[in-house]
Order: sequence, then C-alpha cells, then structure tokens
Amino acid sequence: MSAVQHRHRRLARGLLLSLQLLGAHRLRTALSVSGLLVGVAAVIVMVAVGEGAERRVLARVQGMGSNLLVVSAAPAQRVAGRPRQVPVYTMLRASDAAAIAQGSSRAVAAAPAVNRSVVVRSEGVNTTTILTGTTAGGLRIRNISAASGRVFDDRDDRERQRVALLGPTVVRSLFGASDPVGRVVRVGNVPFDVVGVTRARGLDAVGVDLDDIVLVPFETATRRLLNIAYVHTLFIQARSTADLVPLERDVREILHSRQAGRSGMLDSFVIQNQATLLRTERGAARAMNQLVVGVALLALLAGAIGILAVMLISVRERTREIGLRRALGARRRDIQVQFVLESAMLAAAGGLAGVVVGLTAAGSAAMLGPWDLVVSWRVAALALTSSTIVGLIVGTIPAARAARLEPITALRAE
Amino acid sequence: MIEVEALTRLYARGTLETQVLKGVTFRVRRGEFVAIMGRSGSGKSTLLNIVGLLDRADSGRYLLDGTDFSGADDDERSAARNRKLGFVFQQFHLLERASALRNVTLPLLYTEEDPGDSVQRAERALHAVGLAHRARHLPSELSGGEQQRVAIARALINDPAVILADEPTGNLDAQSAAEVLEIFRRLVGAGRTLVLVTHDRAVAERADRILLLDDGRIAGEEAVPSPVAGAHLGAAGFV
Repeated sequence: MSAVQHRHRRLARGLLLSLQLLGAHRLRTALSVSGLLVGVAAVIVMVAVGEGAERRVLARVQGMGSNLLVVSAAPAQRVAGRPRQVPVYTMLRASDAAAIAQGSSRAVAAAPAVNRSVVVRSEGVNTTTILTGTTAGGLRIRNISAASGRVFDDRDDRERQRVALLGPTVVRSLFGASDPVGRVVRVGNVPFDVVGVTRARGLDAVGVDLDDIVLVPFETATRRLLNIAYVHTLFIQARSTADLVPLERDVREILHSRQAGRSGMLDSFVIQNQATLLRTERGAARAMNQLVVGVALLALLAGAIGILAVMLISVRERTREIGLRRALGARRRDIQVQFVLESAMLAAAGGLAGVVVGLTAAGSAAMLGPWDLVVSWRVAALALTSSTIVGLIVGTIPAARAARLEPITALRAE
Repeated sequence: MIEVEALTRLYARGTLETQVLKGVTFRVRRGEFVAIMGRSGSGKSTLLNIVGLLDRADSGRYLLDGTDFSGADDDERSAARNRKLGFVFQQFHLLERASALRNVTLPLLYTEEDPGDSVQRAERALHAVGLAHRARHLPSELSGGEQQRVAIARALINDPAVILADEPTGNLDAQSAAEVLEIFRRLVGAGRTLVLVTHDRAVAERADRILLLDDGRIAGEEAVPSPVAGAHLGAAGFV
C-alpha cells in the first residue's frame, strides 16, 4: 500500500473514532447542529417556494409570446378640452405593421389586431367576451394554436371569411362539454362558422382570462364587423430578448415618421415590452431571493455559533483524551486536524439533516397542497457545502486551543 | 538504552520556584527492568515525563536508544513517543466509548509508516496480555486489572524500545496488581526494557534494579538479588 493510501486510511480510521466519541453526548450534539438544521431546511423551503413562483410567472409570460412588443393605441380622454367620441386614438394602421416588419431588421414579424367587447350567441345562449381580429401571422406571434379543429389562415383573411376560433372559456359558456367545431355562432347578428378551439392558456400575470376570447380574421373583423380603418394593437416579434429595447426605439421612430403625414397627435400609442413585464415580475422574485440569502447567512451564523460552543466544550471535556493522544505520538498538527474535521463533520451532519428535512417538507407540500414548489438540488448541495465549510472555519478555533495544550498538563486534567 | 546525565528541572508557579530535579544521572541497559522509587514530591514523575519525552529538562543530556533528544522539536518528540516508547499510566487513560481493540490501535493513528493490518496487530497485543477474548468489550465492561492490561497492550502495539509505567498498580487491587507485574516480568524476560515509577517498595522489588530518588537527586541504588523469574518466561512471545 502506498504512503498516501496509508495516510488516507489512517485519517478515515481517526474520523470513525471521532464519530464514536462524539456519540457520547447525543443530545448536546443534536442541539448544537439544530441551528444549522433549521436554517438549512428553511432556506430550502423558501427557495422551493420562490423558484416555484418564478417558474409560474415565466410560464405565463412565455405563454403570451416571448420576445414580444405590444404597440397599443393610447386611450384618449380629452382632445382640445373635449371628450372624444372614440375611446382610443385612431392613428395606428394595419400598414404600420408591415412597415415595421420591413423597416427594422430586429423585427421578425409584425401583425395588427383589433379588439372589441361583443356578445356571442349560439342557440339562445349568449355570453359577453372579447373579439379579437388578427392575421394568421398574429396568431403565430402570440403562440395561439388550435386544440381542436384548425386556426384560420391567410386565405380566410383575404377572403374575409366568417370563421371564428373560440377560446375554451367561451366554449364552456356556449356549448358546455360538447365540441363546437362545425357549429355556428353569432357575433352581434353576423353568423360565423366555428373552425377551431384554442389551446388553453390560463390567466395572465394580472389575472385576465386569456381563454375568454373569440378570434376572427383581421379583414373580416375590420370590414364586416367593426368597419374601422385603424387598428388597436400591433404585435411585433423581436429576433431575441436582447433586441427588445433597440426594437422599441426603431418602432417609435418608424411610427413617428409615418404618423407625421397624418392629422392628429403624435405619440398616440404606448409600447409594452414583455421583457419589461418580465423584469418587473422578476424584481419581486429577486427581492425574495435576497431575503433567502439573508436568512441563509443568518442560519449559517447561528449554526456556526452552536457548533463553536459545543466544540469548545468538547475540547475542555476531552482534555485528558488530547493529552493521551499526544503521549501516544500525536503531533500538535494531528490534534488540530482532528478537531477541525470533527467540527466539519458536525456541521455537515447538521446541514445534511437540514437538507433532508427541507426537501421532505418542500416535497410533501408540493404533493399535498396547491403550491407550486420547485425542489432545487443545486441549493441542497450548496447548503450542504457551505455548512461543511462553516464547520471547517469555526473548527479552527477549538482546534487551535486543543493543539496548544501541553501533554502533561492535559493528561493530569480532571 | 536510556542515558540520563545531570538533568535539572525547575518548576515556576507564579513567584514560587521549585527545583524538582537537581542533576539526575543514570543509565538503563537494553532488556533491563528498572524501578524508580521515591516519596511523592521526590521528582520521580517529572523524571519519567522527561524520559517519556512529554516534558523537557532545563539542562542535562538525554539519550534514548542512541539518539540525543535534548534539543529535539515537538514533532520529533511526538514521533519518538509513538515509535520508541510505550506508556502505562496509573489511571489507565482508555477512551471510554471505544472497544478494547480500538483503544489498542490508537497509537497506530499517529504512525507514519504503514502498520499493516492494525486489527491483527492489536489482537496479538491483547493476546500477549491475556485479553484476546475481551477485544470487543468497552472499558466500562472490564475490571480495573483488565483495563490496565488493555493499556499495556496499547503500549506494546508499536513494538517500542522502552515501556514507561507510572504507578501502574496504584489503582489496582492486590491480585490485579500481581497480574500486571507478572506481565511486566514476562515482557522483560522476552527482551523488553521497562522503567517503572512507584512509591511502593513491594512493587519496586519486582524490578532488576531500584533507583532511589529523593528531593530531586538519585539517593541510592539497589540491585534486587533474585527477581522472581516467571515460570512461563517469555511464553506469550509478543515481540
């Protein structure tokens, strides 16, 4: 056997013996590590809650379409001191979408949309919902796809077909559990063929039901239903999330130059940026993370103090053992290593217990309750490592004290 | 094996200074069993601590197995304690939570060289003191005499040049003390060197030679005429 192997085996045997000796005071040892245990467990649960929340937010925002800029006609209250008759500015045009798609290299696609609150009827049942008229490209940009039937296409749009795509909430209101594809609904008095049902998208970040919607082709909506020449919204897809901010500048510039030729007020639109929304949502998550880091540091500090106290007591109580080991040939360094490692073992045990308790708590909460918990192995590993490191650091103090003892004084101690 | 020349040791406690050793000189040959006898306060424990490399003399020379340890540093002393010396204490000094076997292997934790199969060695050492059957017992499950025999096995495990015993029978009843001394005789018979410190003449007379220590000086020396030779001299054969 090589010298290195021999040294490792010696160290392992020494640690085993240390474990045996630490077992002498089970209650005290348990109490000393309880600080770390509780702290680590709390941190793991908090991280699980925080990451769960963040994942939920991310899923929602991505469900709306990532890399998305939304240009909305600004709501108009008063112009020149008088209330306007139309509730929004009428400066946005469908052609603006095409101009943006061509004018900025950062835009992958752009589509116009119009919206109105409407009553939809089917065989005597009616429901109030939002009608959205957009192009086939608009559906793609917003990640809208059909769960059954089909979505409308460019030809439906060009031909101003009276075809409708219903959101699941509308389907439930009008048809209950039965399949509406192929049936007819009336929007106002205009009959539409139901060609498909959208995939459920749930609530958005502020709680608006994204499935309470009727989608029809853009041309059909503007020519057959609303009779308007302007649009309410432009959806613009950026090449990447990083392009969102410069794209917003491009869009502003293009719209300004195009609107300069029109009568009316400039800046009659607002641009919403999914990345900005995401950032706001993430801000909350980050505040939570900072709290977690704070709690984690406090837990480590409390744990460190607990272990330090017990190790100092241990050195005092085991003075004769230290003297004996010195008499039998232990160098100061051997004693030092022994107590540092004992401290690290205690801390690691506390951290491990905390990880087990924390993961169990988070895991069972995720299974039993309505909470969205993400159990993070990365955090568990990090907690365990930092506990051990804290043990190593804190252990140097009692270890130095133990190593300083003179063998004969230590042997004679009571 | 042991050469001690003009050792002095002064203890200072606050302003109170005590000259514990005032120039002690003696030799112990290889294979010899020497008892250092004296009243309490005569300096015999201090002398044994210096010979055991647990304490340093203020002046004088000390050679162990041909090596001068007068100026050795802490690590050299530790290594020598581990490889050349075996200690037997009055209070046994066993780890309460560890089995007899684990206690016996304790010195091997600090041996630089590969000791080979440490369990096997410990079992042999326990066999040499007649406790092979108690290897897995905790000290609390053993009698005082047995505990001291475990301590002797621990002293033997690294095959030391010299065994140092400080009042090894001080905490034992008469029968256990006799057993321990019998083991010592057997070890000496097998060629080991043994230095024993005691205040008890009956114990000292089991040695080959008695050094009388009084007030920090060797006050006399007696050869014990006919040490009781064990019937099974060296029978255990632990080397």
